[in-house]
Amino acid sequence: MARNGKRVLAWLPPMAPSVVLLGLFVVGPIAWCLYAAFTNTALTGIAARRPQFVGLDNFKNLFTSADVGASLWLTVLFVLGSAVVGQNGAGMLLAVFMQRRSRVLRGIVGTIVVAAWVLPEVVAAFAVYAFLNTNGTLNEVLGALGLGGQNWLYTAPLFAVVLANIWRGTAFSMLVYQAALSEVPSDLTEAAEVDGAGPVRRFWHVVLPVIRRTVVTNLMLITLQTLGVFALIFVLTAGGPDNKTRTLPLLMYEQAFKFGQIGYGTAIAVVLLALGAVFSLVYIRSLKTEV
Amino acid sequence: MRLSIVVNLVLAFVALLFLAPLLWLVTASFDARAGFAAKLPEQFTLSNFGAVLTWDVGGRPLLNGLLISGGAAVVTVVVAVLAAYPLSRYQLRFRRPFLYTILFTTGLPVTAIMVPVYGLFVRLNLIDSLAGTMLFMAATSLPMAIWMTKNFMDGVPVSLEEAAWVDGASPMQALRRIVLPLMLPGVAVVAIFNFIAAWGNFFVPFVLLLDPAKQPASVNIFSFFGEHGMVAYGQLAAYSIVYTTPVIGLYLLVSRALGGGFTMSGAVKA
Amino acid sequence: MLLRTVTTGLTVVALGLTAAACGAPATDSKTIRVVYRNYSDFPQMDDFMKVVKKEFEAANPGLTAQLNPITSLDSDYLAKVQLMQRSPSTAPDVLFEDSYNVNADAAAGYLLPLDDQLKNWPDWNEQFIDATKQAGRATDGKTYAVPMGTDTRGIWFNKTVFAKAGLPTDWHPTSWDEVLAAARKIKQSQPDVEPMYMPLGKPSTEAVSMQTLEMLLYGTDTKDLYSESDKKWVAPSKGMNDALHFVSTAMTEHLAQTAAEAEDTQFAATQMTTRMSKDKIGFMIDGGWYARYWAPGGVSPWPEWTKTMGTTAFPTQHGQAPGKVTLSGGWTLAVGGSTGNAEAAFKFLTVALNKKNSTDIDVNCSWLPVRKDVRADPRLAEKDPTVPFWSDLVSITRYRPTLPEYPQVSNAMQVAADSVVNGGDPDQATRKWVEDVQKVVGADKTRNG
Repeated sequence: MARNGKRVLAWLPPMAPSVVLLGLFVVGPIAWCLYAAFTNTALTGIAARRPQFVGLDNFKNLFTSADVGASLWLTVLFVLGSAVVGQNGAGMLLAVFMQRRSRVLRGIVGTIVVAAWVLPEVVAAFAVYAFLNTNGTLNEVLGALGLGGQNWLYTAPLFAVVLANIWRGTAFSMLVYQAALSEVPSDLTEAAEVDGAGPVRRFWHVVLPVIRRTVVTNLMLITLQTLGVFALIFVLTAGGPDNKTRTLPLLMYEQAFKFGQIGYGTAIAVVLLALGAVFSLVYIRSLKTEV
Repeated sequence: MRLSIVVNLVLAFVALLFLAPLLWLVTASFDARAGFAAKLPEQFTLSNFGAVLTWDVGGRPLLNGLLISGGAAVVTVVVAVLAAYPLSRYQLRFRRPFLYTILFTTGLPVTAIMVPVYGLFVRLNLIDSLAGTMLFMAATSLPMAIWMTKNFMDGVPVSLEEAAWVDGASPMQALRRIVLPLMLPGVAVVAIFNFIAAWGNFFVPFVLLLDPAKQPASVNIFSFFGEHGMVAYGQLAAYSIVYTTPVIGLYLLVSRALGGGFTMSGAVKA
Repeated sequence: MLLRTVTTGLTVVALGLTAAACGAPATDSKTIRVVYRNYSDFPQMDDFMKVVKKEFEAANPGLTAQLNPITSLDSDYLAKVQLMQRSPSTAPDVLFEDSYNVNADAAAGYLLPLDDQLKNWPDWNEQFIDATKQAGRATDGKTYAVPMGTDTRGIWFNKTVFAKAGLPTDWHPTSWDEVLAAARKIKQSQPDVEPMYMPLGKPSTEAVSMQTLEMLLYGTDTKDLYSESDKKWVAPSKGMNDALHFVSTAMTEHLAQTAAEAEDTQFAATQMTTRMSKDKIGFMIDGGWYARYWAPGGVSPWPEWTKTMGTTAFPTQHGQAPGKVTLSGGWTLAVGGSTGNAEAAFKFLTVALNKKNSTDIDVNCSWLPVRKDVRADPRLAEKDPTVPFWSDLVSITRYRPTLPEYPQVSNAMQVAADSVVNGGDPDQATRKWVEDVQKVVGADKTRNG
């Protein structure tokens, strides 16, 4: 008992500030949201004055609404396309290719990729808009090459926002993988090289197993970061055309702030939270299975 | 050797792809009648920069942004290092559940919790307070910061501290004198990571601060948007460049100080 | 265990703090907080409020007006103001409020009914134009806000394009068919010109409901979106179906902007005003405020616009009386429901909207006057010669039924229009709209029309 008590005293003081800050500013508000999801709390109108407990009504509406189903599916596609495949793949590719390059080249390429990442979200969104719109840079280049351009934001809106998020977020994965690759013992790859394994096989059979845990963790982090993306999509397409890019954060914003339906909006946020948890559990499970 | 050339070409191509969207920012900022196409300005002008480089537009909001983001980054780092120590060094049963739970919360866009947070700030009398806003931003970036810091700390061998304990140093003294200096690059990475996140955050300061003189650059950027969706694109582009320069500069500075590598070594592990 | 206790404890504290969001106003009653949106393209609003503050403080020694401008997009302005209103200590005393939100904010208790004070304000009784008083009146019959200015909608047409198409440069269409016929003629004679423009597509949000569908709907025999007399929303609606067919015709015959342009978030901002000046658009069904953009120093200066552009009212479907239709919105000033000094707040409002200041703000913002004595001021027409035309429409103008459910009914309209713009069937879009409306307001609160 005494030792146990001593331990408690040992961990508590250093963790207290973070527990207080997180409890007050993160966990508390989220708990409020969990409660509000069962009410008709509103920003304006009668319900703003007298919010009422409505039980599962918000969730009933949610699960019978075609809008929510569509948004949920779009969010999953957006996460898979831009984070799991896009950022993760591009980040890995860049990190692998930049290994053993000259310092100058690494510096230049790295800084350019990072520039897109440190750009404030609104600015990044406008930059991508200027790149993809009908008179944008991409179409100019395609035109100069004799290829026909198109209005990417209209004909392929989901593809456009996925592309935008890959452009903006790849730096994170790149930095993570650069670090991970630098820690792969060189004698392992050299041994494989002596055995006559080509670069692809070496990467697949030697490097990847070593950095597997980093890959899975990186996937979890970028998935969580991508789930909440709002301003990028809002500026590019506003969720259109015909709601083809209205992911859950946009739907939530629309319900909570445009219509003032905080109760319903927070119910959508709960769905988003659950989606994040599902993704994370899949990743955590895959870490546990074979270690 | 041939492979090497191919790799170089691929890298150059990818770099160009990443660079292309930034082109418009540069051309539009010098264009007197800027639209949304990246083209050489017909009417070259410096007036866009002139318009944004005033105290009210470019000066004070940037300074506010530095105060809020810098303060938030410092608070986050200090709090995260403290929290990471027991998480890294002690056998705690709640370690994994704690880390995963706080991490889950990062999947939620901050807009989702602004209604209760506003109410909370009113109650605590923190509305319109730069310090309050800074604290809130620090709190929301804590999950990632604790996660990364803990992993960095795991990379510092415990054996080094044990020697200090034998000499009678308390865990906190050991943390300050031995662990911290060894993980300084990691701390720098966490700091800059949080600084960037706070620097781009629009909704939090917009909601929590009332006085326009306290608003940071991320909010002030909307002063280029008018009624019926009209936008002053040239000024917006010029402002974007001015607004982005500090973070790029900071990144270059830190990565130079770390010996050319902005390293995430060990930050991302389960 | 302890951690859990601490966390739970903190959660409870946080919950307690947030749940009970009511306290005494923090500001003293000698200071009033004035909240308004600060636009980049007219710093006039900020300048205006500074002048009013000075005059108000000079006339009322001991009282202070604390100005609180908010720089943001429209949607964010609304979100922030509503958050501020939720907590009495940060709620505004005087608020720059879109007439669109008056009903909902009144129902929420955010606004103070002004009838008693207005009764004793001679200007209100003698000078304010009756039709514009609707802007501040809620469904309970009380007035919560005083209009600062208004706007009307109609047709802007390019005389150069019309002349080339062999259309009259003094154009007065009397039915929807005549409008479409003119568009077809322009298309035949000038294939590279977009015959017409009207707000469409997801990015145009409320403008789609108000300026496109409601302008059309109010000119049909259905007449209403919401029936005041029996307090019911009109759905199913023959008029809405006709309106969506009008949009569908314009889109399928390529008489309006393309679907891709309609869905472009920056189209209205980057292309519209310049295209008009380059004779690339025949006519547009839009608000009367474009002079501001074409003026020197505007976003798209065009000195010749006064010669090239003509204005005409938008006709009813088959020319039904009164033959033309227009809708109004506009900004108001309101007094916060939890103000600590209602008297001072109202005084501020009367200073801001007296004859001199009303004239200044209307001239500077290109708003249409809501006061008779301001309407007579020559400065308005001097700055924008089309002001008399748009002002005359005020006598027949209608306001939207901005009940608390309106934003969602309106959103359903935007969804319907958006599906038609992207090639959907107008009949199916109408049916879906009816379903959506009945879901939002309850089937018992709708009627056939």
